[in-house]
Amino acid sequence: MKYYTRRIVFYVLTLWVAISLNFLLPRLSPGDPAQIMIDKMSRGGEVTPEQIATIQRLFGGDSDQSLWDAYVQYLNQVIHWDLGTSVTKFPAPVTELISQALPWTIGLVGLATVISFLVGVGAGAIIGWRRGTWVDHIVPSTTLIQSLPYFWLALLLIYLLAVQNPVFPVGNGYDIREFGGPEWSWAFVGDVIYHGTLPALTIVISSVGGWLLGMRNMMVSTMSEDYIVTAEAKGLRKSRILMTYATRNAALPSISGFGITLAFVVAGSIVMEQVFSYPGLGKLMITAVRGNDYALMQGLFLVITLTVLAANFIMDIVYGFIDPRTRSNA
Amino acid sequence: MIRSTGRKRLLAVTSLVAGVTLLAAGCGGGDDEGSGDGTKSPAAAEGTDTDRTLIVWAGAEPPITANFNPFSPTLLAGTNGVIYETLFYYNKTSAEAPRPMLGESFEWNEDGTELTIKLREGVKWNDGEDFTADDVVFSLTNKFTTRAYITGAEAVDPLTVKVSFDGPEFTNEFSVLGTTLMVPEHVWAEKEADVEAALTWTNEDAPVGTGPYTVGETSADSYTFEANPDYWGGKPKVAQARYIGVAGNQSAQDMLTTGQIDWTGMFIPDPDSIVSSSGDAVGYVNTPQDPTAIYTCANVDLGCEGPQTDVAVRQALNVAIDRTEINNKAFVDLAAPVSPTFALLGRDDKWIADGMPKESPQTANAEEAMKILEDAGYTKGADGIYEKDGQKVEMTLTSPATWTDYNSTNKLVAAQALKAGIKIDVTEPTQQEWGDARFSGNFQLTLGGIVGTSVPDPFQIYKDWFTTDATIKVGETLEPGDWNFTRYSNPAVDEAVNAAAATNDEAAKKDAYAKVQAEITEDLPYIPVVVNATETFWNAKDYTGWPTEDNLYAFPPAWGAGASGLILSQLGGTE
Repeated sequence: MKYYTRRIVFYVLTLWVAISLNFLLPRLSPGDPAQIMIDKMSRGGEVTPEQIATIQRLFGGDSDQSLWDAYVQYLNQVIHWDLGTSVTKFPAPVTELISQALPWTIGLVGLATVISFLVGVGAGAIIGWRRGTWVDHIVPSTTLIQSLPYFWLALLLIYLLAVQNPVFPVGNGYDIREFGGPEWSWAFVGDVIYHGTLPALTIVISSVGGWLLGMRNMMVSTMSEDYIVTAEAKGLRKSRILMTYATRNAALPSISGFGITLAFVVAGSIVMEQVFSYPGLGKLMITAVRGNDYALMQGLFLVITLTVLAANFIMDIVYGFIDPRTRSNA
Repeated sequence: MIRSTGRKRLLAVTSLVAGVTLLAAGCGGGDDEGSGDGTKSPAAAEGTDTDRTLIVWAGAEPPITANFNPFSPTLLAGTNGVIYETLFYYNKTSAEAPRPMLGESFEWNEDGTELTIKLREGVKWNDGEDFTADDVVFSLTNKFTTRAYITGAEAVDPLTVKVSFDGPEFTNEFSVLGTTLMVPEHVWAEKEADVEAALTWTNEDAPVGTGPYTVGETSADSYTFEANPDYWGGKPKVAQARYIGVAGNQSAQDMLTTGQIDWTGMFIPDPDSIVSSSGDAVGYVNTPQDPTAIYTCANVDLGCEGPQTDVAVRQALNVAIDRTEINNKAFVDLAAPVSPTFALLGRDDKWIADGMPKESPQTANAEEAMKILEDAGYTKGADGIYEKDGQKVEMTLTSPATWTDYNSTNKLVAAQALKAGIKIDVTEPTQQEWGDARFSGNFQLTLGGIVGTSVPDPFQIYKDWFTTDATIKVGETLEPGDWNFTRYSNPAVDEAVNAAAATNDEAAKKDAYAKVQAEITEDLPYIPVVVNATETFWNAKDYTGWPTEDNLYAFPPAWGAGASGLILSQLGGTE
């Protein structure tokens, strides 16, 4: 039990530091939201003095609040899940923007990551099992694809499969021409899957190589372990050795890596969401950064930090169960 | 050359559109009205009724926050024009008289202190109530916006409003008639109790306006307008218009080429290839409006430093740059020549005084630049750069790092100026730093835009960008609504601008403008470069009635405030 208490204390401390940093960072960077908005609007056309007066009134906030007071107020807001109001998407609350985007990212990036993991680890296990045969040639080709810049691969696929031969749509989470907004119907669900296929495909293609290579190498070194030799000597079925003896042990490092990857799913795949105009958190983050929208940035960073911590915590606990050695040594 | 072929192709497209229109009218069995009528009276839309949803991209990036509050700074495109309307529509692409919308006619008194407006009869709010003079009075004098120059507004009778001002306010005619959105008093009056709350209200559930459409479904990705069956100009023929959010120009361009966007306004470097590769299903027009200029921090008295504070250096730079090359390489030949008077060529020609050069020099003249410098006492140093009193003619020229067209312009300017012995160091700060430096005057040279006027008259540029009232000392931030970044101050200009503001007499205004123009073309606090392109693309296959090169009845891009409602009400289907 001591192990878990230590972990919990550690995570609470980390959380507090993360939240405090999150509070401080935007305050160290320059920028007056009113000025930013006027600047942005004046590039698009005329800004009337009336509009400017309104902007000053809404955003030219009182800044004589002390840092400590602001910090206490911020902590209080975070506890009540009030992350402030976005400037770029004014007057939408940050929490609303995040909860709108979250399902899209988790749905697409999460699913694509799981698929990529399963395919990569599965294929890696088989290739490692049959090392030295022709299947080894698959490894370099997948790593080659992975080494291609993601945006390039994505744009290439869009060009080939969406623009030249319109098999898939160019972008968006669903057909925004057809549907005025998300709705619960089979037509809509089908449309979401149809729109998600190409982006998911690009994620899988570009990330499967890493899983595959790691798994294959672990597999090869596991195969030379004594207990594999023992299992073979006992005359166990090949499939049983592959699944129960080799793969289970070889997959351990991949599983811990998978935990971290899952945590970062929440951060979205920024490039993917940008290229496909996918309405997820990564896209939201770009919007926030480009618009110097500190409230939104803070909110996003907080959500990402929380998920990464939570995922790490869960992996720690799970690992404690799977591998007793981590428990005693920690 | 490229430009002229572009024109030809464009003409082909527009004539094709016109052809389709004729055809459609023929099919419908109606008489062909001719598209020219549309410019003057709110004639019925062309084409047929259509249920096909018109997809519009007006620059919104997802997620979209539903906000149809006409007083909010972040209102969605279409709120202005599609839901709420102004009394008159000022078409900034032409010199024609303002088009009556909710107003029928207006008249100034002799000294410009009173404006009498006659309203259109039979207009109803989309909740069924009558639109009356009281609504106009409320719209002009509510607490949500402050118009200090309006001293009073009264409803003379249900269809007449008299607005009074604190002095001659001819120059605010556009502000009152062309930008003030008419809002229903019966909805907004009670909100005056808490102005702050009213300004942050999103007004997303059935906003009450007079416009051709009402708000339908809204989501994080789009919002939909539904035709208003009781619209005073007749029910729009396009039943539904959906404004979508698209992540940036590249995606939007992809969607345009695959026929997924029916109307947009954005910069595309090779518009002709979009039109030709679509088989003329995409229509296109370019309406340059906003000048780009090199701002120079010009005034030593207000704290500017550097060689550019000497007028000779500014004049030399003005003739040293090759605007043709800049337009060709940085703006892909889509920008238009700029007038040194900042009057928009074509539209404002009558305001350009006799004897003024029509365009800024389009080619470089390094000899002349060097002569100007030598006449002013500069001598060429060993490194080929001019100097005077030990100070080299070396200046920094900035533009925001993300504005690629401006960055290329600056590099070209630097190379061209070097040939005339002027050294320019180009830097690219972040947009934030650039914006701060611009407002506080902490720059030597910077490339920036000048907002083109919305009425066929350069007055607003002279007043907001050149007068002493519109500037402040270097180091202090300009007041809201002031745009004189260069710290330029010239009593002759101030006086002429005041004289022009006090009169509605064309000859007197021309006299005043001539004085302004004589000064600013000599002093060159802003060195004009080009007039930026404003490109608009539309679906010419399924819809008709667009503002084309031949019939620019409104400012065409989808993001244009005010014009969008007018254009939507003029559209029709082709089948």
